[in-house]
Amino acid sequence: MDDLTLPKNKLDMFLNKIKSDYTVYAPVKVDDLVYFKKIEKLKDITLDFYNSKVPPKSIIFKQTETMFKFKQGLDAEIQTLDDKNKKNVIFGIRPCDAKSMSILDNVFEDDFTDPYYVNKRKNTVLVGVSCKQPTINCFCTSMDGGPADSKHLDVLISDIGNRYYVEIKNNKGKSLIDGTRNLFEKVTNNDKKKRLQLEKKSKDEISRNMKTEGISEKLDEIFDDDIWKSISLRCLGCGICTYECPTCHCFDIQDETTLSDGARIRVWDTCMNPEYTVHASGHNPRPARMNRTRNRVYHKFNYFPKNYNLIACVGCGRCINDCPVNIDIIEIINKAREVKT
Amino acid sequence: MQKDEFQPNIVAFLCNWCSYAGADLAGTSRMQYPPNVKIIRVMCSGRVNPMFVVNALQEGADGVLIGGCHPGDCHYIQGNYFTRRRMAVLKKLLEYIGFDERRVRMTWVSAAEGKKFAEVISEVTEDIKKLGPVQKIRRANSW
Amino acid sequence: MVNQKKLREEVNTLISRNDVKYIIGWEKGSYGFKMKPFFITSSEDVDRLVFNPLCIHNLTVYPMLEEKLPLRKDATEDKSKIGVIVKGCDSRAIVQIIQEKGLNREDIVIIGIPCSGVIDPKKIERLFPLKSETPDIDEDEKNFIIIIKDKIQKIPKQDILMDKCKTCEFPNPLIYDTFIGKEIETVKNADYKEIESFEKKKLSDKWEYWENQFDKCIRCYACRNVCPLCYCKECMVDQLNPQWVRRSVNISENAAWNIMRAFHLAGRCIGCGECERVCPADIPLTKLNKKLEKDVYEMFDYKPGTNIEEKPLLSMFKPDDPEEFVL
Repeated sequence: MDDLTLPKNKLDMFLNKIKSDYTVYAPVKVDDLVYFKKIEKLKDITLDFYNSKVPPKSIIFKQTETMFKFKQGLDAEIQTLDDKNKKNVIFGIRPCDAKSMSILDNVFEDDFTDPYYVNKRKNTVLVGVSCKQPTINCFCTSMDGGPADSKHLDVLISDIGNRYYVEIKNNKGKSLIDGTRNLFEKVTNNDKKKRLQLEKKSKDEISRNMKTEGISEKLDEIFDDDIWKSISLRCLGCGICTYECPTCHCFDIQDETTLSDGARIRVWDTCMNPEYTVHASGHNPRPARMNRTRNRVYHKFNYFPKNYNLIACVGCGRCINDCPVNIDIIEIINKAREVKT
Repeated sequence: MQKDEFQPNIVAFLCNWCSYAGADLAGTSRMQYPPNVKIIRVMCSGRVNPMFVVNALQEGADGVLIGGCHPGDCHYIQGNYFTRRRMAVLKKLLEYIGFDERRVRMTWVSAAEGKKFAEVISEVTEDIKKLGPVQKIRRANSW
Repeated sequence: MVNQKKLREEVNTLISRNDVKYIIGWEKGSYGFKMKPFFITSSEDVDRLVFNPLCIHNLTVYPMLEEKLPLRKDATEDKSKIGVIVKGCDSRAIVQIIQEKGLNREDIVIIGIPCSGVIDPKKIERLFPLKSETPDIDEDEKNFIIIIKDKIQKIPKQDILMDKCKTCEFPNPLIYDTFIGKEIETVKNADYKEIESFEKKKLSDKWEYWENQFDKCIRCYACRNVCPLCYCKECMVDQLNPQWVRRSVNISENAAWNIMRAFHLAGRCIGCGECERVCPADIPLTKLNKKLEKDVYEMFDYKPGTNIEEKPLLSMFKPDDPEEFVL
């Protein structure tokens, strides 16, 4: 679609305009960490960050989501919540996290359409920001992505010095920009050059890569290999990797009640918990940590590709950064490829 | 009971053998004490897990009282000693979090001390009335 | 610094015994300043074993994490021992677990290393952002010497030591089968100054501080899983019948979780600081646990993980325990 530029000093005006029509979620600094939060004051927004602790999927696929409320007793009734017409903008999302939304779409729009996810997804515009500086563990380029990849975004802005290079990718992005067209300017050849330079520089800085060709088939062959035991012996089963992963989507549903009323709540769950697979009989098909760690790798790199022809990993590197015992998915996959069958 | 005054909810965990019997005695002797207390009978005050206390405060209790036998008189020999240790630690922890530890009280009431029970309830109710309703860790239940 | 060669020799002797299943130590991590816990099962693995000031993990969490799966018919139980390498603070966890009868002394073989302090990964990453090469680390009296690709940098220990190491009372392991190196002289006393100054704050200020901290909690339970003393077969938060702590993430449940975990560690937390290190939301958990450590010492004269013969704090009592709060 369109390419435009926005002078840096006009960004606040743009954000103010869209804030009046949309609920804006953007990165906010909380002590030393960055989280995506609802924005009340524009000065809370920071674009000086690598990536957020918790991925922005938490805005569309909330960690705690009320499905419906109900009243118990003689006048029992169910009240569904109505937020179908709320329009949102996630501003400052990275290309890897945007790709994860497209991956999650497969899960929530497959044979059953999850209304909670789908409504929000339809009404949310993703305005991404290119990465100027990848971190040590970024490997989006190995996962069919890139630091300035606009494929899964509605709008992508890249910092090219004194202005932002703005790429509008689809109608959703276009309707967002339309009300503020007067703030934007035409693209010059110099701008285009800087944009390509930015992308090349960032791509060159990515130092780690993971070879993914044929990984799904290879994993099929080594399911019972000892390598899984040695990798998972040090796993603590904590859940940090699952809660920080932009493509993880497991959830639990619980009812919370008082004597008179209550609500059905959907919450994130983690497959690293032994209780995740415990049956009512008490039997647990994944009794040991080895089973659960192996399952996580297989879900991302074998089961998901088999179902949707996509690897459910975007290369954001959060799991590698924060694993307490340095379980490294890049190391695991590269090691798995070398197992002799 | 004044209609517009704040009426606290107080949950009391009373041990079956001493403090519950004491409360019973207060009742049969027709002694007057504030009706704000809601009693949960446990077999021994040692049964009271600090999780019960925190849960009660979450669910709407403005104060929690744990009643046990006098030291040396516990029906199960040592239960009340353990409660004493636990509550000492819990109160200090709650204070550190910024939660008023005066909301969690302990008392020794024997089966013959109906009058003491009534007095304790009156005192605790008055104290909690002054502290006001719990807002900090109460469950919102507003979904 | 510990003589790595001697450590490897000792581990080699140990793993060659036929009654030791595996020994838990450290090896080089996959990038940067990371080290990872390493399970040595044979003599061939010993060459990968390392020990340096980046080995921050408390490995005593693993003996209790071992899963005892149902045995097949005719199979006998594997009674071999587990070996573990411990620093000073780590060894207290083993003492405490044995005190609580969580482990038998005979089931575990301990190699003790005297530790003069480990490097805080968050602090050193701030000094060397985005560095992915693994450095060589050496130390002298006052500095850590970091060598990355032949570039040598001296950093004062005070700048990058973990906070817990600055007030370490037990640099030498309190329990061991073998001791590698020389005992370090203990000069530091337990320091509760930060706790005391926090205690003096107004009640509403204290709640505001903790409310902001608990709001960040994402209930990943990493603090619980990394803690060597959180080894309940069914944690209270996983219990559904009855459900004490709801799974929704809000201030009420987060506060209940953090309060109850801190309480369950009263008289049991040995101050290794792993919970705070692993917390992805940077919640200052040691501030909470240290407060209980101080209270328990002042009220009951009890220091967890120091005396293997002693009874655990909350399963004993003294007739003159404080009771001024009892009506």
